[in-house]
Amino acid sequence: MSFFFSPDKPNAAEVDMKREYDAIIVGSGAAGGMAAYVLSSHGLKVLLLEAGKKLNINKELRSMEWPYEHPRRGDIPPDTHALTRNEYNFRPRPYAAGMKYAHIYSYLEGWSSADYSKNIVVDEKDNPYTGTSYAWVRARCLGGKTNVWGRLALRLSDYDFKATSRDGYGLDWPISYKDVEPYYDKVDLFLGISGHKENLPHLPDGQFQRAIRLTKSELMLRESLVKMGRVLTPYRAGVTTDGLKHNKYRSRCYGRGACERRTGGCDIHAAFDSPTGLIYPALDTGNLTIRTNSTAREVTIDPNSGKARGVSFVDTETGKIYEARAKTVVLAASTLESARLMLLSKSSAHPNGIGNSSGHVGHNFCEHLMGPGVTGIVKSLVGAPRTLDDGRPGGFYLPRFRNLRDRNPNFIRGYGFEGSSGSTMFPRSAYWAKGFGAGFKKDVRDYAGAFIEMGGFGEVLARYENYVDIDPQVKDKWGIPVLRFHYKFGDNEKKMAADMSDAAREMFEQAGIEIVNTHREIRTEGWSIHELGTARMGNDPKTSVLNQFQQSHDVKNLLVVDGSSHVSASCHNPTWTIMALAWRSCDRLADQMRKGEV
Amino acid sequence: MSGQEDITRRELIQISAVTTVAALTAPAARASDPTPRFFSKNEFAVVDELTELIIPADDHSPGARAAQVAAYIDARLAEAFEEEQRQEWRTGLQRINALSQEMHGRSFMDGSPEQRIELLTRISRNEPEGQNPEERFFRLLKVSTVHAYYTSKIGIHQEMEYKGNVLLKDFVGYDAT
Repeated sequence: MSFFFSPDKPNAAEVDMKREYDAIIVGSGAAGGMAAYVLSSHGLKVLLLEAGKKLNINKELRSMEWPYEHPRRGDIPPDTHALTRNEYNFRPRPYAAGMKYAHIYSYLEGWSSADYSKNIVVDEKDNPYTGTSYAWVRARCLGGKTNVWGRLALRLSDYDFKATSRDGYGLDWPISYKDVEPYYDKVDLFLGISGHKENLPHLPDGQFQRAIRLTKSELMLRESLVKMGRVLTPYRAGVTTDGLKHNKYRSRCYGRGACERRTGGCDIHAAFDSPTGLIYPALDTGNLTIRTNSTAREVTIDPNSGKARGVSFVDTETGKIYEARAKTVVLAASTLESARLMLLSKSSAHPNGIGNSSGHVGHNFCEHLMGPGVTGIVKSLVGAPRTLDDGRPGGFYLPRFRNLRDRNPNFIRGYGFEGSSGSTMFPRSAYWAKGFGAGFKKDVRDYAGAFIEMGGFGEVLARYENYVDIDPQVKDKWGIPVLRFHYKFGDNEKKMAADMSDAAREMFEQAGIEIVNTHREIRTEGWSIHELGTARMGNDPKTSVLNQFQQSHDVKNLLVVDGSSHVSASCHNPTWTIMALAWRSCDRLADQMRKGEV
Repeated sequence: MSGQEDITRRELIQISAVTTVAALTAPAARASDPTPRFFSKNEFAVVDELTELIIPADDHSPGARAAQVAAYIDARLAEAFEEEQRQEWRTGLQRINALSQEMHGRSFMDGSPEQRIELLTRISRNEPEGQNPEERFFRLLKVSTVHAYYTSKIGIHQEMEYKGNVLLKDFVGYDAT
């Protein structure tokens, strides 16, 4: 989409291994990008290490290419394979072991038009893991998963931060909504968010740009839900729909719909991604140095002080090992990779891994469960003239309604639904309509715009027993020991899932939507790609890893600013909270460094 | 059975058999190309006819034949990584002929248009959960045809009159108020 604009991307400076940087950041996704932007804007000299490569992302995504312009209609090459739901549950781990294909990808690459994202995600062959079944989706390239994320940008509230005070389960966060609110505002204004104000205490409104519009069926469902005291709101998208005057690397959204029909990605960068949203602006400060193809293997320690000295990393192309040094180390490698790195960083000062005197690193691992939902048909739209319904970056969001004022007898916490409806490039009716011939063809045509569906995202409780540790034998392509999963959904999740299906069906029925299918099966652990909690914040160093500023209780110059710091999963998608917290913590870190306190 | 989400696991494997099988460098076969790359000429003619019976030309738009659905399936199978994927089609087509012999005493292509439709009606009756090899092959054939047709130029623009993948000044639809 270079016809919009093609600003020159800033060049990264050469890495100087001899110098001591103010900060080294590991990872360049939402958290690492935000840390790089905030710290470099404070005038600190920052080195950013990214395990993957720097891609020419616009060449990868080609957002407006038609299916028939691609030799495989967007599918991945024949000698590659995307893991299926079945394989996650029944194949022994590591999943790719012994498979003949040249490259094995996570389930994400089994989605539509995945050929455009195959270089963004990891090859499971190079990046094994072991233990219980888990669909672990990883992206190793500049920007990480923000290059393909789902874009739903939600705030948490005190229903989440103080959930323990309400229902007695787990641990309250060491912060409340008022601590984070100004940073949510900053993220909204700096990165752009689309939404419609609803005044819900459990889903706070933001500084919204132009909202996405609803289809006829969504409007109908919204109106019906009012009677149940529930809300359907246009997809709150981390997308700039009005543009950002302060960012020359991003265009506003032009409703091309590519993000809805593909695995993800936006080649005009209206949807937030870390490179154009955060890292290029950080480079423009002149204070940021980036090294890609650099996989961190250990946080190194100053043996005298016990503090972090820097990061040891492997050059993934040459296999050579380097150490870069800094006054502070900021981990932002993702919830699971940051935990892995902490557990790998063992020393006499930190025998259980750096920052792990509590024994909680890798534990309290949580996320969102997926699977339950409903598909239906709006009868009045059958045979209606074709409309353009998918020219938008998302459909709708149906926020949590359980355990707010009432108390469900079967489970605690809540869930919300993401949904969509109407005409799409590939008709929703095509695999549904029965038979063959002219009648079949007409059914596909008549029903294509009448479908509506939604799927739930439910809070998985943070439990100490759900954890990752280091596998004693298996190593990745670069000789780094891998993670071993010990993770299962529990009773609360199963009961919640059953209620999600029933509630979804009930809401459609109330709206007069004909039910085509009620989805009941819970998908494999990991499916939501919302891993959280493996280095949680807290006030007590015995039961938590980080303080409220994501700073290690044990090692003052170590921060972990990604989703691993989250104390509970909430049922709201985490990316916006990850960035708000990272901004807050990095502001504080810069202040402490200025005062010489770190 | 519902939308895309609910195609069964077996179907997903079948779809991937067809949809993950052609190398990027391999040019897709064209209908004008007289030589199919995987199917024999006879097999190709059967597939071409079957796909057109599933999605025929009507007064609204051209069908699977014009959209070169058989050529697309052929190209993908030619490049398939698993031999099993090709074998499934070859065996399936043999079963179609065998069933045609059993029902009408002649091969599928020698049958009348009515006889061909009669055969398809018989193997589609338990869709989508086929109860025997012929019925399961029908679903594979149909899912492959549907995928190829509705991602083709004819399928997207003429049949579905898709209006998207364009630059919009404003979103279309209804404001939430």
